[in-house]
Amino acid sequence: MPTTASPLAAPLRTSEDPHDLFVRWQEQGDPAARDSLVAQFMPLARSLARRYGRSSEPFEDLLQVASMGLLKAVDRFDPERGHPFPAFAVPTILGEMRRYFRDSGWAVHVPRGTQERALKVRDAQDLLANQTGRAPTVNQLAQYLELDSEDVLDALQAIQAYEALSLDAPPRGASAEEEVMSYGDAVGHDDQHYELVELGATVSAALEHLPARERLVLSMRFVDDLTQTEIAERVGVSQMQVSRLLRRSLDRLRALTDAPSGMA
Amino acid sequence: MERVLPAPVRRQAGSPNVRLSLSNRPENVALVRQMLAGVAEAIGLDAIALNDISTAATEACNNVVLHAYEGAEGPLQIDVSVGSEALEVVVRDHGSGIRPQFRRSDEVSGIGLSVIQALARRAEFGGTTDDHGTEVRMTFATPPLAMLDSFPEDGLEPPAIVDAELAGAMEMSIAPASLARTILPRLLSVFAARAHFTTDRLADVQLVADALAAHVPGSITGGHLSLGASVEPHDLELRIAPLRAGCANQLIADSALDGLAPVIERLTHEQQVKAVGGSSEAEMLALRLTDRR
Repeated sequence: MPTTASPLAAPLRTSEDPHDLFVRWQEQGDPAARDSLVAQFMPLARSLARRYGRSSEPFEDLLQVASMGLLKAVDRFDPERGHPFPAFAVPTILGEMRRYFRDSGWAVHVPRGTQERALKVRDAQDLLANQTGRAPTVNQLAQYLELDSEDVLDALQAIQAYEALSLDAPPRGASAEEEVMSYGDAVGHDDQHYELVELGATVSAALEHLPARERLVLSMRFVDDLTQTEIAERVGVSQMQVSRLLRRSLDRLRALTDAPSGMA
Repeated sequence: MERVLPAPVRRQAGSPNVRLSLSNRPENVALVRQMLAGVAEAIGLDAIALNDISTAATEACNNVVLHAYEGAEGPLQIDVSVGSEALEVVVRDHGSGIRPQFRRSDEVSGIGLSVIQALARRAEFGGTTDDHGTEVRMTFATPPLAMLDSFPEDGLEPPAIVDAELAGAMEMSIAPASLARTILPRLLSVFAARAHFTTDRLADVQLVADALAAHVPGSITGGHLSLGASVEPHDLELRIAPLRAGCANQLIADSALDGLAPVIERLTHEQQVKAVGGSSEAEMLALRLTDRR
């Protein structure tokens, strides 16, 4: 029968020999020994959550999953085999996190953490641009959002990678109606900008295949030489969205113009 | 009838699909992760498989960052080879032979070792063949993947002169060159961030990377593409070689799309064409991007 020693009765000694603790838990059913083991190896679970889950999910969620893995490892470890516990616990905890990712559809959906961070980066970008009159650097965004710069870059990348990631959600401080309105206003000037492109050089049919707003941002960037932030202001969308529109429309143009004769 | 066995992981010794050479500065590990993400996208690897590979590679790289040169700076080299149902990553340093790396008594490194062993199907730790360095060779099982267009026939060792010309913050060789489409925008974004570019200019850098990646594969001579990048505050230089004679300027001209100014010319501050190795047969395109607004 398990003894009913409370954690208070057995003061936590972090330097307690794990082997003794495993014997007390697994052979004598002493829950205090199990608690001690979990406490002793929690830094390992925490470290693995940070390493494996790098920035994809809220850290607290991952830590919880890693802790579940640690519990499993504590219950299943055989101290008599002579291996150190971490060598056994690491694959168990990683396996638990991998299963969590798979079960939560991580491979096929935009991870929640990524989605939330992308929207935060977008809003911060617009906010800082409004404050200073110029787009922020990645470091400034990272500092403002208390992320590391790689997280910010990943968020910027996610915007490009996931079509499904909705950037059409209204930016902070603007209602959806306002956004539609200002965008509508900008589209009103579309013809004028398109004219500029036509005057600039020979225009083949390819450009005409693009939607109006892609032609608009292309001409604003390459004919008017506006920055992406300036374009974003005029069109009433985020700079991230301008970036995505530009990349996509240039890709499309390339596909259209390269089709007949490639360079190779 | 003989059973058809899966293709061996290593197609040919010394001919990875990507070879990335960096210094072992801590911030460079992010470049390794971005490169791996680019490879994963190119071959259709899912996010969970990429996370495994990226985590294990990070551990191996951090080991080189922390332990390979005893506090000094030295090379960190990463090879990636894509097989039909496996992907191999080799992380290499040129340190001083047997060192206290991955010693089990070292708590942090001990975890790193366990992480690599848990995530890779096979992990080998050994010395490099050519010098006193150390390498970690990790093989990851992958589902059957979309194969790469073609494999290089000439290996990946860049010609010596290109190697010298490309000395900088990063040197990378890629084969097939089409891999640049997913790798180049990611890596250049990291450099643009490091150069303190605004997100405006960073997005422009991505457009340049896209334009290069679209047109470079048809312009290179030989089986691989060499890229070099170096960075200073507000200043990013990119070098691309070996291009066939005349292709560098053609590349710029071809980035003009349908009446728009050439994307590469418009978005870069300076374009230079240099002969590679003093011959007129191959050339290098050097681009400078700045952000001084």
